[in-house]
Amino acid sequence: MLGVRTLLGLGLLVAGSRLPRIKSQTIACRWGPTWWGPQRLNSGGRWDSEVMASTAVKYLSQEEAQAVDQELFNEYQFSVDQLMELAGLSCATAIAKAYPPTSMSRSPPTVLVICGPGNNGGDGLVCARHLKLFGYEPTIYYPKRPNKPLFTALVTQCQKMDIPFLGEMPSEPTMIDELYELVVDAIFGFSFKGDVREPFHSILSVLKGLTVPIASIDIPSGAGTQKVGQGWGRLGPYPPDSCPHQV
Amino acid sequence: MSSAAGPDPTEAPEERRFLSTAEAAALERELLEDYRFGRQQLVELCGHASAVAVTKAFPLPALSRKQRTVLVVCGPEQNGAVGLVCARHLRVFEYEPTIFYPMRSLDLLHRDLTTQCEKMDIPFLSYLPTEVQLINEAYGLVVDAVLGPGVEPGEVGGPCTRALATLKLLSIPLVSLDIPSGWDAETGSDADGLRPDVLVSLAAPKRCAGRFSGRHHFVAGRFVPDDVRRKFALRLPGYTGTDCVAAL
Repeated sequence: MLGVRTLLGLGLLVAGSRLPRIKSQTIACRWGPTWWGPQRLNSGGRWDSEVMASTAVKYLSQEEAQAVDQELFNEYQFSVDQLMELAGLSCATAIAKAYPPTSMSRSPPTVLVICGPGNNGGDGLVCARHLKLFGYEPTIYYPKRPNKPLFTALVTQCQKMDIPFLGEMPSEPTMIDELYELVVDAIFGFSFKGDVREPFHSILSVLKGLTVPIASIDIPSGAGTQKVGQGWGRLGPYPPDSCPHQV
Repeated sequence: MSSAAGPDPTEAPEERRFLSTAEAAALERELLEDYRFGRQQLVELCGHASAVAVTKAFPLPALSRKQRTVLVVCGPEQNGAVGLVCARHLRVFEYEPTIFYPMRSLDLLHRDLTTQCEKMDIPFLSYLPTEVQLINEAYGLVVDAVLGPGVEPGEVGGPCTRALATLKLLSIPLVSLDIPSGWDAETGSDADGLRPDVLVSLAAPKRCAGRFSGRHHFVAGRFVPDDVRRKFALRLPGYTGTDCVAAL
């Protein structure tokens, strides 16, 4: 049986030379544009929750948001599938916190998820699936579907979970207000540029007339090109993007 | 009530709480082939939920600095990949994970998950001390992500086998992912296995979980669609709110 002193000596020896475990005080902090980087302190090597609480949230420009994405894909080797799953799960969690099922009128609460043609739409598909698991009753409208395995697989997962896909968009805001208690806007994300093409232009017009709440994934769709309507709450997996017209 | 495909006929359908190894594999195949889940998706969901289970069993505010240090021991197969994801989420949750992953799988999934951990400054040990007291002193808890159902102890190589031998003598808490490494997945016979304090069953508990006698048993299976759960006639406690794990 080794004595304590011997053990201590061994421990120090191992920690110093052969055991490459880095003590937290000397972890090399990565500074830089990573979204969690600037908040880390040298002394702790990890987040100081007090500092985080007192620091205002940083809003990212479109370029910065794209740079974050690129870093995650290229340096961290995250896959689109991985990030999309985490993003959609986070959004569903946020929605469930903001609009808990017990606070809604219907049981299960009905939600319309409108998915756009890109990655934001993919986030919406993941979000819808997790909302179903959280006890909501989502319906999806997904008019423009990329012909890529990632998206077709996400559609299959939703279909297999009996989440209905609408054949057409309700044409009047009141029709949506009557059927759904919440709308999730997963149409356009931070990489959106240029004009809003059909059918999304019409869809956004309908959404602007809604009285039920809208939860936008990442940015309110069309923000920057159009005025954002009342009642558009924003939520997203990354730090918020700056939008010219803040809600 | 839908009829189950392949449950043990001696168990009443409503009472089933465990899956056999074959059924667990069939459930995974259904998710991958019928539901078109990607393997990476499932590994990410399981790893994230495993980290959440750790936060429930060992809440951060109650832990001292030393107790927040977590050694995650990863084998070369899927269980190890789940361990890598778990370590990354523990980092995000402000624990201080260190990984021992001696037999590195060459497949892309494992390589990318390793990169993600490295880029988040999670240290990888080049060797694990065989003197268990050193581990007890250096870490607050250990996560066993070495063997999974259907992986034979002999398949994982010397360093993992030696690590498991050392971990058998651990006095700090041990969290096993899916099945305690070394346990027979069916019978739970654990002649060479570990005695974890916490078991996190992935998707659904395996038969050997019936012999688990540690402090906490969680099931990380929120992502399993209801129809699949019904098909395998599983009756498990419900999940509350947005929780991805449920305590059994």
